Amino acid sequence: MVKIGIMSFAHLHANSYAACLKALPGVSLSAIWDDNASRGKKMAKEFKTNFVKDMNEFLASDIEGVIITSENSKHRAMVEAAARAKKWILCEKPLAPTMKDAQSIVTTCRKAGVGLGTAFPCRFSTPLIEAKSMLNSGKFGAVYAITCTNHGQYPGGWFSDPALSGGGATMDHTVHVVDLLRWMLGKEFKSVYCELGNQLHNKSFPTDDLGSLHLEMEGGIQVSHLASWSRPKSFPTWGDVTLEFVCEGGLITVDAFNQKVTVFDDGNQQVRYDAWGDNPDMALVKNFVDAVQSRCDCASTGMDGFAATAVTEAAYRSAKTGRTIKI
Amino acid sequence: MNVAILGCGGMGRLHAQMATNCGLRISYCADAVRKAAKGLADDFGAKAVVDPMKAIEAKDTDIVVITTPTPSHETFVSAAAAAGKHIFCEKPFGRSSEECKRAIRAAEKAGVTLFVGHVVRYFQEFELMRERIQKGSIGKTGWVKLFRGGIFPGAPGSWFRDYKQSGGVTFDCMIHDLDWVRYVFGEPERIFCQTIMRTEPTQLDYSQVTMRMKSGVIATIINTWAAPSGFKVKAEICGSKGMIQFDSTETPLGAEPRQTGSGPTMFVPMSPVAVSPYQLEWQDFIATIGSGHTPRVTPLDALRAVEMAEAALKSNSSKEPVKF
Ligand SMILES: NC(=O)c1ccc[n+]([C@@H]2O[C@H](COP(=O)([O-])OP(=O)(O)OC[C@H]3O[C@@H](n4cnc5c(N)ncnc54)[C@H](O)[C@@H]3O)[C@@H](O)[C@H]2O)c1
Repeated sequence: MVKIGIMSFAHLHANSYAACLKALPGVSLSAIWDDNASRGKKMAKEFKTNFVKDMNEFLASDIEGVIITSENSKHRAMVEAAARAKKWILCEKPLAPTMKDAQSIVTTCRKAGVGLGTAFPCRFSTPLIEAKSMLNSGKFGAVYAITCTNHGQYPGGWFSDPALSGGGATMDHTVHVVDLLRWMLGKEFKSVYCELGNQLHNKSFPTDDLGSLHLEMEGGIQVSHLASWSRPKSFPTWGDVTLEFVCEGGLITVDAFNQKVTVFDDGNQQVRYDAWGDNPDMALVKNFVDAVQSRCDCASTGMDGFAATAVTEAAYRSAKTGRTIKI
Repeated sequence: MNVAILGCGGMGRLHAQMATNCGLRISYCADAVRKAAKGLADDFGAKAVVDPMKAIEAKDTDIVVITTPTPSHETFVSAAAAAGKHIFCEKPFGRSSEECKRAIRAAEKAGVTLFVGHVVRYFQEFELMRERIQKGSIGKTGWVKLFRGGIFPGAPGSWFRDYKQSGGVTFDCMIHDLDWVRYVFGEPERIFCQTIMRTEPTQLDYSQVTMRMKSGVIATIINTWAAPSGFKVKAEICGSKGMIQFDSTETPLGAEPRQTGSGPTMFVPMSPVAVSPYQLEWQDFIATIGSGHTPRVTPLDALRAVEMAEAALKSNSSKEPVKF
């Protein structure tokens, strides 16, 4: 039985990861620690596991790996504490709001000799895996341009508190796509220009709620990425991840979560997309558990998390200076 | 009134039909390629000429329609104005903003009506979106996303394939979207553009633009001449109280002939309306002639659209935003 703990349920993804840990054979969700004790207790009850109030006590236990799903700016302190306790770590994305923090996280884990993964579940999405193999097959030839979106509904809470999140929709919804493109094409990002907006929610919070990014990858591939909290409350689903690859040999288009049925629900006065298809979170958590067991790296490492943070940091700098920023 | 068509290609034929539908007579069809001129002239009972000046200067020409490749627009606008003829010129108004300014001066000096065909302003779906936006149906608009395009236009050797002449998808096609965004959301502040403008092995262009308006509204516009087939338009407008989406692939009518010996066939989506947007722009143009009526699109609007497209291409070269 591989024993895994979860640190903080601030990020909603913790619920999904906890459910995956419960469902996977040979794994147990041994304990939950949360700096918000009432939230932690509630979650421990929900997932029928122990709540440990003291972080040191939690880390001193026999859990082998931890999933960290706190607010972005708390990742560093928690990862570093877990690394000192020699736990294998899967950290929610973005790895950190700044390159400085991300670098420190990576260095600390390397020095401590623990495995560090960044939670990029899209790498485990079956349609995206298929798209990658189409691209890598060479049948479509060179890639010239890519248009991506990662839209969502406004998540509220700490996500729009810069002290805890480090940024708004662009912080939240850029790293998935950046990681996907690095992974799919094996190329790095060279530069970014970014327009930020805070204008879809009556400026009711201080961060951006949309980012329109123009990036260049190695080999001159031009990329535009639209990151936003633009989906209205009445939208039938949470959002999307889409990619359009313009290649010499044609187009490849991905709408990664477009495996759905439409439900017209009179009871709730709601039109809704209910998802079917494979659950990428399950494969992500399984990959982490395998890494814990075999003492090796996760599919997406700390360095991958760092590379994605480097792009978002440059994007925010571009919006501030009004210029294209080299990465 | 009598209409002379200069440039008897795709748009020349379309506008000959629109003018006819408006009760006008086609008197001349001019094209550097005699076969093209004759083909259209025969269909509309007009005289075919190779020299556009003959059609412009003819007594029985009251209106000159300019549907030649973009770089020739200014010359023909100026010639038609000098001859005292009213002018319908296709977009882009000219290949440069300088050309457009000269064309405007020529028409003003001659006191003739000059109209530029920014037809997207007359598309019913775009009008409905504009009306909903201005009525506040989605609150305050913050973000406009537009997509337009399809396969690379023109056969090999066509002027469309010479970027010097057409300006590629950014200058020739996205100018529609740039104009519409300015029409609805006011003047632009700055623009950023990346476009691929490839010529080989396959000729492809794909343009990605972000434009911030003085009002703060952000527009993200993607245009393609890199699709293997078809043509489509998509719009998404995000506001503080909701969102509007349009997708031209969702149509009330479609047809797909059964496959024959000669190979596979294709699904063709159709969205028929009784009065086409091109007809509406003609009605607006005709209403403007010799009256105080201001059409939905003015020559100054068309000039601004060319300036925006020029700025976009400048940004593509410098890899930095261009301010207006
Ligand atoms: N509003 C729209 O929806 C729309 C759509 C397509 C094209 N356009 C614009 O319309 C114009 C024409 O485009 P098109 O698609 O009809 O092109 P086209 O290539 O089909 O037709 C152009 C015609 O002009 C002729 N020609 C070229 N140079 C000439 C000259 N100096 N004198 C006389 N004839 C000449 C050519 O032989 C050809 O027959 C362009 O400015 C284009 O950007 C507008």
